[in-house]
Amino acid sequence: MDDYVITVLSNIGMISFIALSAYLLLLTGEISFGQQAYFGLGAYAAGAVTAMLLLPIWAGILVGACLAGLVAMVVGALTLRLSGLYFSISTLAFAEMVRLILLIVHVQVEVEGEMVGPAGAEGFHGIRWMFERDLSLVQFMLLIYGLLALVLIVLLLMERSRLGSVFRMLGSDDLLAEMQGVDTVRYRILAAGVAGVIAGIGGALYAHFTTYVEPQFFNVMLGVHALAYGLIGGLGTAFGPLIGVAIDVGFLEAVRFIQGYRMIVFGGLVAVLLVFMPRGLLDEERVHWLRTLFARRSHARSQRR
Amino acid sequence: MLELSGLSKHFGGVKAVDGLDLTVNEGEIFGLIGPNGSGKSTTINLICGVFAETAGTVRFRGDLMNGKPPHRRLRAGIARTFQNIRLFPNLTVWQNLWVAQNSRQDVATQGFLPRWFGATRRTRQEIAGLLELADLGHKDDELASNLAFGEQRRLEFARAAAARPKLLLLDEPAAGMNQQEIDDLSQRIRRVRDSGVTILLVEHVMELVMGVTEQMAVLNFGRKIASGTPGEVQRDRAVQEAYLGTAGSTSRPGEGGD
Repeated sequence: MDDYVITVLSNIGMISFIALSAYLLLLTGEISFGQQAYFGLGAYAAGAVTAMLLLPIWAGILVGACLAGLVAMVVGALTLRLSGLYFSISTLAFAEMVRLILLIVHVQVEVEGEMVGPAGAEGFHGIRWMFERDLSLVQFMLLIYGLLALVLIVLLLMERSRLGSVFRMLGSDDLLAEMQGVDTVRYRILAAGVAGVIAGIGGALYAHFTTYVEPQFFNVMLGVHALAYGLIGGLGTAFGPLIGVAIDVGFLEAVRFIQGYRMIVFGGLVAVLLVFMPRGLLDEERVHWLRTLFARRSHARSQRR
Repeated sequence: MLELSGLSKHFGGVKAVDGLDLTVNEGEIFGLIGPNGSGKSTTINLICGVFAETAGTVRFRGDLMNGKPPHRRLRAGIARTFQNIRLFPNLTVWQNLWVAQNSRQDVATQGFLPRWFGATRRTRQEIAGLLELADLGHKDDELASNLAFGEQRRLEFARAAAARPKLLLLDEPAAGMNQQEIDDLSQRIRRVRDSGVTILLVEHVMELVMGVTEQMAVLNFGRKIASGTPGEVQRDRAVQEAYLGTAGSTSRPGEGGD
């Protein structure tokens, strides 16, 4: 594999985190235009931990994920009473606030004769943990996909658990969920927190992969893409958003003749899918169909017993 | 069992429910009727906590329910059905029943795995029993959105039963039903009552209310205008006026008629 392919694959992996983050909120019926803020918070916090405090990367990822999760829960609690458009606008406003704050935050420390830390609009340079450890691109890619697999397993287990049903209940009928004994307030905040953690992990990895982050990267387009991945790939399973990312970052980037027109093709794809498959390629109906297809054999076996 | 006193709900200047006093005794099938807009649905929403009351109290088995969110009231034993079918279309039939069953206190304390993954034999048997009763045994893995209309109705009823409520609020369950279906429904309501559930039936299909209830109250403009047995209520003059309008020129504005 050449470096270009590895970079594209790594990007697919890292963007998948924010796609899964937006997907989780889509399940609960909330369209957030602000998941890029948690991606950014995760990136800055993790960068600060490894480059300024000189702690190992797992500590950076942990801090980034926790900070993003906590902030997401606070924002989730504040926006509880909002729904639909009002919720979306407030998440966007919050994310822009985070970005603008990062534009003015200037905290630098001296590390080995060099000033390291967030420097406002100039960004945060020198997150070099990966190079100091002599980690190859392939090794870092394995770290990305290892963590992605972990998150994916958690999400897939969640789908099978009561929590998965509860999140989908919130997405279709809040009042009815309450009437089934579901504490909707608690589960909405929980969903926001988990979504924040997932985005935070992605951001933490991103900061270390690029060694440099700037507030501008975490603008609203990232959040819009994150939403679109779930809507393209489908909301029936956690694999849906990953398919969305693969289609956008992988396929559209790789196909030469689309180059330069990528955003136009992407936008068209989203529009067409929203009309013909409003819940994406792998929506609940198709996932259910696939599941029964695979389950039939094992079911027949258990019937005989 | 259920005690409403001085219960009021005002939307701005509109007094949807105004100083309602009502007592439903344990084991009763209690009917609540009234013309459109008389405050029946608002009353149900106040009892199960969808709306916060403007004044008055809701007591259930002696406990004050004011300020408790709907999910706490469900756990206390108040379940309801909706006027229009409301299911979770993206969940399977089994999952639709599971969450309600799982909210119950006796099931919720079983520990982490059974609670979150539905793994106990007891949970599975209980849901299988509910499916059997609702005649949906073979459809457990079907998405709720793929069910036929009648099946959806039965699933909704089964889901209300899954929570094992002590008080079941039925919001116009006979809407759009033919005579045969109404007879079936009366039987089902009696069976549920006989299994130890108190029932508050809100309805304006008269055959059902008159046939199945033992005590009833009539609402008009948010106030109780009569109460008693169906026979007593039927003979009540105020009730006849509310439904048919008063004779002569004394009819209230907006009631129509020339």
